[in-house]
Amino acid sequence: MNPLRQRSMQPKLVATRLSREDYRDSQESPMSKISVRALSVYYRAFRALADISLEIPANHVSAIIGPSGCGKSTLLRSINRMTDLVPGARAEGEILLDDWNILGAGVDVVEARRRIGMVFQRPNPFPKSIYENVAYGPRLYGIHRRHELDDIVERSLRQAALWDEVKDKLSQSGLAMSGGQQQRLCIARALAVEPEVILMDEPASALDPIATLKIEELMQTLKESYTIVIVTHNMQEAARVSDYTAFMMIESPETRSGIIVEFGETNQIFTRPKHQQTEDYITGRFG
Amino acid sequence: MAQDARIGVPERKSFSSRLTNFWQHGDLLYYSLVLLAALLALSLVAAIGYQLWANSALSRRAFGWGFLISSRWDPALDRVFGALPFISGTLITSVVALLISVPVSLGVAIFLAELAPHWLRQPVSFLVELLAAVPSVIYGLWGLFVFIPAVVRPTGVLLNDWLGFLPIFAGPVFGPSRLAAALILAIMVGPTIAAISRDVFRAIPQSQREASLALGATRWEMISQVLVPYGLSGLLGAVILGLGRALGETMAVTMVIGNNLDLTLSLLHPGYTMASIIANEFTEATYDLYLHALIEIGLILFVITLVLNLLARLLIWRVARQTFQEARV
Amino acid sequence: MMLSQRRASWRKRKSLLMLALCGLATLLAITPLLWILGYVLRAGAPAMSLSFLTQLPTPVGVPGGGVLNAIIGSAITVGLGLLISAPIGILAAFLAAYQPNTPLGLAVRFGTDVISGVPSIVMGIFAYTLVVLPQRHFSAFSGGVVLSFIMLPIIIRSTEEMLKLVPTALREGSLAIGAPEWKTSLSVILPAAGNGVLTGLMLAIARAAGEAAPMLFTAFGNPFLSFRLDQPIATLPHTIFVYAISPYQDWRAKAWATAFVLIALVLALNVLARLLVWWRTRQLGSVIR
Repeated sequence: MNPLRQRSMQPKLVATRLSREDYRDSQESPMSKISVRALSVYYRAFRALADISLEIPANHVSAIIGPSGCGKSTLLRSINRMTDLVPGARAEGEILLDDWNILGAGVDVVEARRRIGMVFQRPNPFPKSIYENVAYGPRLYGIHRRHELDDIVERSLRQAALWDEVKDKLSQSGLAMSGGQQQRLCIARALAVEPEVILMDEPASALDPIATLKIEELMQTLKESYTIVIVTHNMQEAARVSDYTAFMMIESPETRSGIIVEFGETNQIFTRPKHQQTEDYITGRFG
Repeated sequence: MAQDARIGVPERKSFSSRLTNFWQHGDLLYYSLVLLAALLALSLVAAIGYQLWANSALSRRAFGWGFLISSRWDPALDRVFGALPFISGTLITSVVALLISVPVSLGVAIFLAELAPHWLRQPVSFLVELLAAVPSVIYGLWGLFVFIPAVVRPTGVLLNDWLGFLPIFAGPVFGPSRLAAALILAIMVGPTIAAISRDVFRAIPQSQREASLALGATRWEMISQVLVPYGLSGLLGAVILGLGRALGETMAVTMVIGNNLDLTLSLLHPGYTMASIIANEFTEATYDLYLHALIEIGLILFVITLVLNLLARLLIWRVARQTFQEARV
Repeated sequence: MMLSQRRASWRKRKSLLMLALCGLATLLAITPLLWILGYVLRAGAPAMSLSFLTQLPTPVGVPGGGVLNAIIGSAITVGLGLLISAPIGILAAFLAAYQPNTPLGLAVRFGTDVISGVPSIVMGIFAYTLVVLPQRHFSAFSGGVVLSFIMLPIIIRSTEEMLKLVPTALREGSLAIGAPEWKTSLSVILPAAGNGVLTGLMLAIARAAGEAAPMLFTAFGNPFLSFRLDQPIATLPHTIFVYAISPYQDWRAKAWATAFVLIALVLALNVLARLLVWWRTRQLGSVIR
């Protein structure tokens, strides 16, 4: 039904349901980079996410899909605790980065955010030069020597497949580029602090098809070194780029809380979904 | 006018008939009034400039550009006039006032825009705006009888004791002094700078904050390394507007600066500003040259504040444009 | 990555420190307001009485007396200023609000900003050359004129903002029925923006009532009661100034009492104006919904 990339090391299926017992049962699953356990996120009295559990495999691309308003972005943003920025937001449950629960009390959010990078829906480079955009992160961590920064900037821009296009104009403003280039600049900026996970919130939705293609190719290269989680409302994109897919929906029109209906290998989700709602969404019966 | 029976087809009116309708319904009068009002508002600035120029002619012709650098102000005996003491006094007090109030005001703006919890923002903002609403003469009254004895004089003594070797803190220590004027100006002008800076911060798109925090920056690093550079033009504009206001402040300054013509460097010495010489001597100008000299000082003040105002508006406008440009990505 | 734990905690401590300093700055900025208000209250309230508001000033050394002449004078000059500037300001605001992108609209908004930056003492000189010199005497009229210049930009700007808050649906509805522009403005939009315009007027009054510098050589002050526009007249801020710099102790005490009256007036107007705005935006919010 849709093209899937064959990989030499095909990991086993990880079927994630809502109960925690299933984790203990599953065998031969790839290493989890991020474990979300019974996560509920509240905006004041409103429960945006209800009891979410998810195992994000390391060094793969996992996509979160679902109709609009189901909490995909909220889930993504709670992983790097950007939800903290919303007044009245609180989270219950656990989010484990390797073995470290970043929702715990007294957790160093700054460090968590370094290890979990984020790329946003609309490119948001700083109004500085391309070089300074990428160097911003390393500077925070005390790297000031010019040749070290040069190395990091070049490495990050190469990883973001942008180096060849900008290597002669690093002092140009980060805003003086096309949307697709700006987005890759934001990716390079995120890579410069050496994260382990990269979260992408609809990274290509503001871009033209060619730029989108470049970003999608980039994801395949990046996943060798990083764990990638993307949120997308574009099912075809999810089918193209991801290895694993989570399908979210709202629990009921009364509560409007988001839940995970199904999570598994992308191939399985799109060809043999286990739940009726998943199949309805995939086949376009509701948007 | 031909009546078209079909529904939905607009009638085609001739120009003359439209004009008749216009006139009949009174809209012509309305539009003319609006136009007149707008032109009046616009022409006010030009009119002010013209009147000041015309009514300082005697002094301008008598002293030329030397007026700006001459320090002789002698209305009684030699009838010679020079504006240097007032220009320098104005600049010194305003610059020192800015040096004190800009860091504080920026801190207030950051607090109001980025740090304060929601319920605190409105009340504190309101208090800051109330500061700007207190009349200048009341600042002067309080400054003269309360602030000078309680704060300015002790501060002056302290500065003179510890740093008196520096010419700007040389004694003797006076109560009414340039330092008093600078401090009062800082209090009066701070709210303006703070309010505009706060608006500048609030106009910065949220995506910039998210981008820097997501990279692992602390809150202060986000504010100082991303937000401040982003809004720099606007912040600069706020400071320049504050400077403009400080330059023109009259009553409070007149009441606390001591009104002294000496051209010394010391802040602890009384001084004079352009606004306060006008305030003090305008009604005592018994002959035309005297009056024209004072009006010429008013002209200088007008030009300086005009230029600063234009500069500030331009800078603030630039930040708005920058945000708009990015939104088009 | 060479990430040292020490540096990370130092960064966080620095962040906390700087943010605390910002809070401290805010406290520092607000303190003078509380100090001034408190002192004026303390020093002025004892001398306040009904007679203070209703009597004329007594000569130096004679106890009692009041500032009735200044209260009347402020009312007259500010009232005159309002009479001149309100119609012009509101009309000009209509232009600025509904045709913001025409050259004239831009020019009005720009001009308003520029006028508001002119020091009030320069305005005083301008009014002096315009009115006092030709008439050869100080007058309440010239005081009213200079206050109108000062009030004009405030009225234009706040009226413009209030007009923009009125939903366009309202204006279009009236125009679609066939009502001419002027009638729409007068009987539909102005009432809808009414409270907001009132707010602007109140803020302008508050500002004008506190201006002393331009009064120095226009209204000039008058120890006697006067209602005439062609004679000098006393105003509250000018009276404060005269009393404050005088060498007499009882006059200085009266300066505080007069300051009490003035600041009560100015504060009341400001607070009322904000309340009106707050109530207004809440009201309009429900209309839009």
